[in-house]
Amino acid sequence: MLRRIADSLFWAARYLERAEWRARLVSVNHNLLIEGPAPVGNPWSSMLAISGDQELFEEHYETVDETSVLTFFVLDERNPSSIRSCIDAARANARSLRHRISSELWLELNTLHLDAKQWSAARLGTSEVFDFFQQLQERFYRIAGVINGTLPRGLGFDFLGLGILLERAENVTRLLDIKYHYLLPKVEDVGGPIDLLQWAAVLRSASALEAYRLKYGNLIRTESVVEMLLFDPDFPRSARYCVDRLETALRRVAQAAPEPAAAPTKLASDGLAGLLASRNASEVIAGGLHDFLIDVQEECERISSAVFDQYLRFE
Amino acid sequence: MNAQAVSNPVPISDAYRIASGLFDEMFDLERRPRPGCARVVADLLVREPDRLAELRTRADGMFLRMGVTFNVYGMEEGSEKIFPFDPIPRVIDAATWANLEAGLTQRVRALNAFIQDVYGAGEILKDGVVPRDLVLGCPQYLRAAVGLTPPHGTFVTVAGIDLVRGADGRFYVLEDNVRTPSGVSYVIQNRVVMTRLLPDLVRASGVRSVENYPADLLESLCELAPGGKSRPKVALLTPGIYNSAFFEHVFLSHQMGIDLVEGHDLVCVDHKVFMKTVHGLQQVDVLYRRIDDDFLDPVVFRPDSLLGVAGITAAIRAGNVSVANGFGTGIADDKAIFAYTPAIVRYYLNEEPLLPIVETHILSDPDVRRMVLRDLDRYVVKPTNASGGYGVIIGPKATYRELIEAREAIEREPNHFIAQPVVQLSVHPTLLGDTNGAGPFAPRHVDLRPFVLLGKKTRVLPGGLTRVALREGSLIVNSSQGGGSKDTWVLER
Repeated sequence: MLRRIADSLFWAARYLERAEWRARLVSVNHNLLIEGPAPVGNPWSSMLAISGDQELFEEHYETVDETSVLTFFVLDERNPSSIRSCIDAARANARSLRHRISSELWLELNTLHLDAKQWSAARLGTSEVFDFFQQLQERFYRIAGVINGTLPRGLGFDFLGLGILLERAENVTRLLDIKYHYLLPKVEDVGGPIDLLQWAAVLRSASALEAYRLKYGNLIRTESVVEMLLFDPDFPRSARYCVDRLETALRRVAQAAPEPAAAPTKLASDGLAGLLASRNASEVIAGGLHDFLIDVQEECERISSAVFDQYLRFE
Repeated sequence: MNAQAVSNPVPISDAYRIASGLFDEMFDLERRPRPGCARVVADLLVREPDRLAELRTRADGMFLRMGVTFNVYGMEEGSEKIFPFDPIPRVIDAATWANLEAGLTQRVRALNAFIQDVYGAGEILKDGVVPRDLVLGCPQYLRAAVGLTPPHGTFVTVAGIDLVRGADGRFYVLEDNVRTPSGVSYVIQNRVVMTRLLPDLVRASGVRSVENYPADLLESLCELAPGGKSRPKVALLTPGIYNSAFFEHVFLSHQMGIDLVEGHDLVCVDHKVFMKTVHGLQQVDVLYRRIDDDFLDPVVFRPDSLLGVAGITAAIRAGNVSVANGFGTGIADDKAIFAYTPAIVRYYLNEEPLLPIVETHILSDPDVRRMVLRDLDRYVVKPTNASGGYGVIIGPKATYRELIEAREAIEREPNHFIAQPVVQLSVHPTLLGDTNGAGPFAPRHVDLRPFVLLGKKTRVLPGGLTRVALREGSLIVNSSQGGGSKDTWVLER
């Protein structure tokens, strides 16, 4: 497999996963703002703060309200992390490697891109927005299904997988960080109705609420949520699950070499695996969840650059 | 549809004009369908205008979703357009096609022999059949190709021959394309779309399949492997996603199951060509290159080229890699050489050319030049070093100013231009954009680009790309200049 193609596969996957993750975050938070108890201050401001794109937003918008924030997150091509921009970037990467993916996958990506070009602000109106996100989520599931159902398990599949898994692992830590670091209201609210609602929203963002209830019952506890999203080996969006798959994919890639040898990428993934294996939820909460999440993100970055150095870098 | 319906086709509306002096591909002057066309007329052309328009809308949607697009130069970078598609197919009956096939095979074999000779013994130059100065002075003549002996002597693996049909109903060669001819992916995709739009009509008509082309191409490419290697590594070299034919590069590499590489994916080491893979360097044996000679090797040709592979010329000359089409094939499709092609066919094959060419005047001859310049507004003037319809002046349609400029350019550099009489391209019923009460379709000019694969076997893809000038009266069918395309049906019987 060409380095350039592997690189495009990796980034197409990352952008696609990022688009999906953005959609999850925006839709769930949007729901939360509509269903939840009337919040203090401007709720759209806190959503902006969470995104880390507040400065960019302020460059282009005067007022912070539902319309402007949704437009910014979903449609705005000036925002490189908007859902539309991510879909464009995923499709642009896929375009140069169309011959290495299935026609079905290309068709899905291209159709999504064409539809995204047509999206109008009207789709984000209060009465439409729920359907909009629901349908978008279905598209992402369909793409995941096409990837699983049509791509041969080879290098192409593995580089796509590496992109998806790294992005997913990073995003699950961001999701937790948002709740823990930014949304945490006042000390007296911990365990209160707002807190619970927010944790439920976090779980829902990761499609984890139902799985959580199956495993832990109705009671939502911070520790269990963290356990589920970081350390659960069986839940497909937990950091641990992603790391396990990452290790497998990296091993397969290394073994496909004409002369397989110990790869620096293994060292990098060992680091993340070790970090997650050595702790549990109560320990990391006690030791400071935010710092731990940052550590996980840094380990993800290390894997990403190890993959780049070994397989993608172009002399 | 029963047999009676075929033999007694429904008459089409009087609004469809059959012009005398133009060959209509579907109707004779008595408005009777031509051989093989009755079924299409009776089944398709009688449909309600709305239903016909709906076919086109559905086709456009399919092309867009499949990403069957081309890039237009001069517009914002990477702007993708679909190639307008006309759902009324162009039908070629079996007997007509058999003649064309023979003529095309003959022609491409002769052009290949010419290239072999020019870069080899040079017999045709010694015998004075083609002027030596014209060949050696031609910008398409590559010194780097002198002495090359590709496997089986195949320089031209893929040829696209542009044909037009004159008022007499005969096909004439307008232009040869033996460098990197494009368009074949549209032939295949048009059929895919047509089969979905009109499955019953396609089946009932007995249309010859085009889907084997990529497999045939791959076979021809594998034959070029140095040393007759049995499972050669073949890759398609593309200039990249901004190239107007990028979709085709993707399509063909996908269909053939080979890597699609860009120049910077390749590197030459020890006169061998390698691809940069995730696990290091892997040797390439055959490159189906869709990059012009000039850009192929910055060491030998344009040092500013970022598209090519430094050192590939040396690798080819060392016999470690083959490229298709070969180096320097442009000498055979140069517009100035074109006038000599009938002589080239006679010289190498000792046969009369089966396909006539459009009369072509070489403007470096002072007498010819004087004659052409006197009536410039009656000629089509083409620069000899451009393709895709760029720089072409059509005398009768040109403005006074354009004619003056063309005259000046010709006088400045007569070797750079040829002149041909304006060929009245044949017309074909074509769906109109908006009907305006004129009927749903009207005659529009068409040409035909069949594709020929040369190797141990010579194969002609049944049909080819029919391009149609969608603007009334326009003779320019190039996709870059507002042309569209039609599915081309060669009938089995």
